[in-house]
Amino acid sequence: MPPAAASSIIRAGAGTARCVAQPSQVPVVASFSTTASRPKFTKARRLFRAWERADGRVFRRHAGEKPSYLPSRRREDDTDKPFPLNPYFKSARVLDERAREVVWEKIMRDGETIKAVSAEFGIDIRRVAAIVRLKEVEKDWIAKNKPLAKPYAKAVLSMLPTHRINPNQSNEPFEAINELHVHPYTMQQIFWPTSESRHFTREDAAEAFHPTLLSADKRVPHPELIQMEREVEQGRPLWDASERFKQAVMESERRAAEKQVAKTIHEEKKTTRVNTERFEFRFKQFNSENVGLKGRSRSVVGWRYGTPHDDRSKGHQIKIPTSVP
Amino acid sequence: MKPRRFHGLQRPKLRQSWNKYNLYNIARARDPRIGTDDIATFFQQKWRAKGLLRTYHGEHIVERKWERMFNRRLLSVVDMDTKYMAQNDGSELAAGRGSGTDQPPRWDRKSANPRSVTPYMQMTFAPMERRLDIAVFRAMFASSARQARQFCVHGAVKVNGKVRILTRYYRQVPYPAYRLNPGDMFQVDPERVLYATGLPKLSPKDPKQPSTLAGEDEVAEEALEEEAESATEEESEVQAAKAEQDPDTTDAPEAAPVNMKPTRKQIQDLTAQAKAILSEKPLSPAQKKGLRKFIQNAKPLLSRAGRPNASPTEITDELSTLVAELDLGVGGDDKASSGGAVSSDPMASLSDSELKSLEERMEELMDEEEDNPHDPSKPYVTPWRPRNYMAPFAFIPQYLEVHQNICSAVYLRHPVVRKGAAEVPTPYPIGTSQLAFNWYLRRR
Repeated sequence: MPPAAASSIIRAGAGTARCVAQPSQVPVVASFSTTASRPKFTKARRLFRAWERADGRVFRRHAGEKPSYLPSRRREDDTDKPFPLNPYFKSARVLDERAREVVWEKIMRDGETIKAVSAEFGIDIRRVAAIVRLKEVEKDWIAKNKPLAKPYAKAVLSMLPTHRINPNQSNEPFEAINELHVHPYTMQQIFWPTSESRHFTREDAAEAFHPTLLSADKRVPHPELIQMEREVEQGRPLWDASERFKQAVMESERRAAEKQVAKTIHEEKKTTRVNTERFEFRFKQFNSENVGLKGRSRSVVGWRYGTPHDDRSKGHQIKIPTSVP
Repeated sequence: MKPRRFHGLQRPKLRQSWNKYNLYNIARARDPRIGTDDIATFFQQKWRAKGLLRTYHGEHIVERKWERMFNRRLLSVVDMDTKYMAQNDGSELAAGRGSGTDQPPRWDRKSANPRSVTPYMQMTFAPMERRLDIAVFRAMFASSARQARQFCVHGAVKVNGKVRILTRYYRQVPYPAYRLNPGDMFQVDPERVLYATGLPKLSPKDPKQPSTLAGEDEVAEEALEEEAESATEEESEVQAAKAEQDPDTTDAPEAAPVNMKPTRKQIQDLTAQAKAILSEKPLSPAQKKGLRKFIQNAKPLLSRAGRPNASPTEITDELSTLVAELDLGVGGDDKASSGGAVSSDPMASLSDSELKSLEERMEELMDEEEDNPHDPSKPYVTPWRPRNYMAPFAFIPQYLEVHQNICSAVYLRHPVVRKGAAEVPTPYPIGTSQLAFNWYLRRR
């Protein structure tokens, strides 16, 4: 077979040449074989190891107090984006230990309201409440001598962008606190003819979307803050306006608490508790005849008995209109 | 079928994990650019996009479960400027012919930023972030979503202070698929968190031992250095342990020469300690040999010490020679003692203020040691250190409030999208997410 022989000669030549070039990496194992053995690592693996030594080396051990994320391909100034391909996800700042302590002290020691602290430091209301709750758990652990994960906390906070609070001076806000949830009712386009002379406000817009929808001024988390700004616009001094804001916030929190208490009392009134050794039975009065207009109301007892589900039937229902458009 | 690699280099898949291979895959990932050419049909584009995204978002969750979770309503918020709302009542937007009075258009970069979009499509996998296991991973309590899932299954996670949640399906543990509600607090056992996020301990049989690594030519310099560092640390620890052993063996038998029980106890303790060192710590072959020899020779000594006619002096002598041999084999004791002698001299020459600062520093170190002690019984390297390649993955989404000290977090609200930023962490660009969203709308 002359062609095979020729090819083997050529291969032998190539193999020996490689052997000369890299004698240590590609040893000829069998004396009769002239084919160079495969390199130790695949190409992908070699590239990975090269990256590990060069670009990836800085990520191996974290040093310093600043976060280190993968560099973005587009711009150099993107230092808060962990994913190079997704510019819309940013690593948000977190409150450091001292800031959390300050928030806890303001509420639990100085007796300030959650809304007032939220407005003062620019922290979301729910976050303020969560901080207090978590801080209470931490104090409980300390009181019980339960070990805290301090080295872990220190390491993680050094890797994250942190926000600090100085209780003695005005701080820049931590996050946007007056964010309005985009209600599905407001996501439609409506053609709403009105007279040109009409003063069409946010209240009217809300009613145009839906009769039960409240206006944006009432749906934001801090309506009292808007009122305060309005008073400042009207010429009231800032300290007075902020005092009034604090009063209003206190009042709104008191009202919310009262509502909660009233609800619990009402529930308690409706239930009869019977304590046995093992269980506490709770009985409530219900009228099973009260099943709503079609017998399918979801909030009443017994709605599922005897009423067939019509979620699968498509054309068989007789649709009687309940209102005249 | 051959199981695919979780972190592959040939067919890279981005995962919810802190693995270094995953970091490399994220770092070198290119925009998939699906739909930029007209080779693939729309169906094919959507299919490929959702396949890519599902390798990252809950790949351990079956497709049908995710399809049930998917919601086409995407939550968003708008930041309302209080000052603007106080100054205007909204009628300015309805002025003129119904859409506000005409403003001269300003085309400078600041007012007309083309990038200020609300990236709704990056919220496709927002319902996934409600799951307990993924929330635990996002709070940085586990190094991967799968590990977080394991923590839930093993009962290391509490929700609202309870280990048991009774649902109507009678599932008892806060199961990984539990969907958090706004205001739910979840806690993870700190030991597990330290294990998950700490530097893992190498087992003695691990092939990545310093001695084997030293021979390879392709190993990175730094890795070598580190291994060497850790090896020397380990060595010094061993020496310290032996230095502790010495006075015990030499002093104690003299104190109680008649009763042999303490000596027997000491020999047993020593052998146990040697065995522990042998099994736990990576040692050089010579050290291992020495230790094995010590264990072997200690055995007959132990049996002789048990006999009624045993002479205590002989046994203590032999024991001390054994320990001395062991120390010679390692050869580090002299250095340590000489170092101590050298360091004692400069102490005398220090001034008062320097001494004070030194004391303060010592106190700091002592506190640190108290918080982060050396404890070989732990399943991670002690003193605790964060695992390698952790920092580039370190972020906490805004819908969580995390307290690292107590390894607890509160799920504040569902993730939302706002102008210019989406809260769902995803490594893929918006075009891919949009195609995947369209796939799950089920109009294909």
